[in-house]
Amino acid sequence: MTQPIDTSIYTAVTDAIRTEAARILSDGTVTAVAGYAAARRKGSSQPIVVSDAGNADKLIFTAACVNNLAVYLTKAKKDIPKSGRIGVVVKGCDLRALVGLMGESQLKRDDLYLIGVPCAGVLGSTIQPATELNTDTIAPKCLECVERLPVGCDFVPAVTPPPAPELEKKYASEIARLEAMTPAERWAYWKEQFSKCIKCYACRQVCPFCFCEQCLCDRNRPQMVETTPRPAGNMAWHIVRAMHLAGRCAGCAECERACPMDIPLNLLNRKMAKELKELFDYESGFEVLECGPLATFTEKDDQSFIK
Amino acid sequence: MSTPGTKHDFEPKIIAFVCTWCTYAGADLAGTSRMQYPANVRLLKFPCTGRIDPIFILKAFQQGADGVLVSGCHPGDCHYIAGNFHARRRFAAFRKLLEFVGVDLNRLQFSWVSAAEGGKWVEVVTELTERVRCMGPMLEFKELALEEQWSGKLDSLELQEAYNQIQV
Repeated sequence: MTQPIDTSIYTAVTDAIRTEAARILSDGTVTAVAGYAAARRKGSSQPIVVSDAGNADKLIFTAACVNNLAVYLTKAKKDIPKSGRIGVVVKGCDLRALVGLMGESQLKRDDLYLIGVPCAGVLGSTIQPATELNTDTIAPKCLECVERLPVGCDFVPAVTPPPAPELEKKYASEIARLEAMTPAERWAYWKEQFSKCIKCYACRQVCPFCFCEQCLCDRNRPQMVETTPRPAGNMAWHIVRAMHLAGRCAGCAECERACPMDIPLNLLNRKMAKELKELFDYESGFEVLECGPLATFTEKDDQSFIK
Repeated sequence: MSTPGTKHDFEPKIIAFVCTWCTYAGADLAGTSRMQYPANVRLLKFPCTGRIDPIFILKAFQQGADGVLVSGCHPGDCHYIAGNFHARRRFAAFRKLLEFVGVDLNRLQFSWVSAAEGGKWVEVVTELTERVRCMGPMLEFKELALEEQWSGKLDSLELQEAYNQIQV
């Protein structure tokens, strides 16, 4: 049963973003604003960096604005102090990534001017960017979203997002389905999924948290993870990736969107988030913490699994 | 319980990642006290359990281990104050991940063995070895590695078609 989702607020949001971007660019609050602009195909969008107030009306916000712009801030993090304060257009999910990055000392809050977006949801796939947003085409992450109105931003358009549609939480139900399987069935499932991997590392490039200058998986002395797209190396890469993101991943699901082979990558990340919530009562991306759950400890941690 | 000299059909390979300050010394004590324990276990000495990256466990399985043991100092006894506390959290998360991917957690054992616990070391190693022996060899990762080579069989329509075309 497909129902359309109300995205009428995006017109008002677009206007508000343009006005605010023009204001902060012309009064010198920021030197540049990272946001979304219309791309060539009808309905599509692409990231843009606007550094001139005259270009502020290029900025848009639609259901096709799927990218997490936090990734541009990490890869360019060394340039941020040089070029002054940067304005960023953030959805609630992107904000959680930024909060995580601030906790890991990759970004400073003072260097950013956050333009929050009241979000009604974005498309799951931009292969057909002009598709209308409905209960089938909405990204699965939006169904589990708890922050439709980003908190703690410098500017949020005065628009109230419509209430989230009451839909089946796809990640939660898929995790429950896999957990109910036997280990052998789960192994068979993941073996098939990972065998599709072509090791393009799009998941790594698009992830705001994969900011290591040299990835462990690129090292060959010693080589811990095979770099060729063969089954054993693929399995190792995805396990390592999930482990390194455990307790850090903010759930923007960019890995899954960027994956050309449609591997359900965010499923692993959501599973780890769920386990860390149960084990250490920790959820990433809500407050700037000095240490994530795996970088700290308490003396009373569970050790029932240790003999 | 295995008795020395018993022949078994399957001898599992057990890799033990141990910390040098407690468990390695504990294993040493078991040896100097002439206690018997299965020779299936291969010890790898690390400065601390905090040094043991989950990827080592993965690598051990990939290279043919049937079981993996990670052992270090009791909480509070770490030579580096807090290494084993960090390790405890990391492994708690890692075993959940392995379980989700479909690895049987009975093949993976964590333990605290101090330098004075030669007897406990013998007990832990014997129990893990016997458990893994009952489970049989760990085939999952080995099969993955084998799949990297083409079997040589024309087991799909596409392959058969391509093969037919090259015949003159």
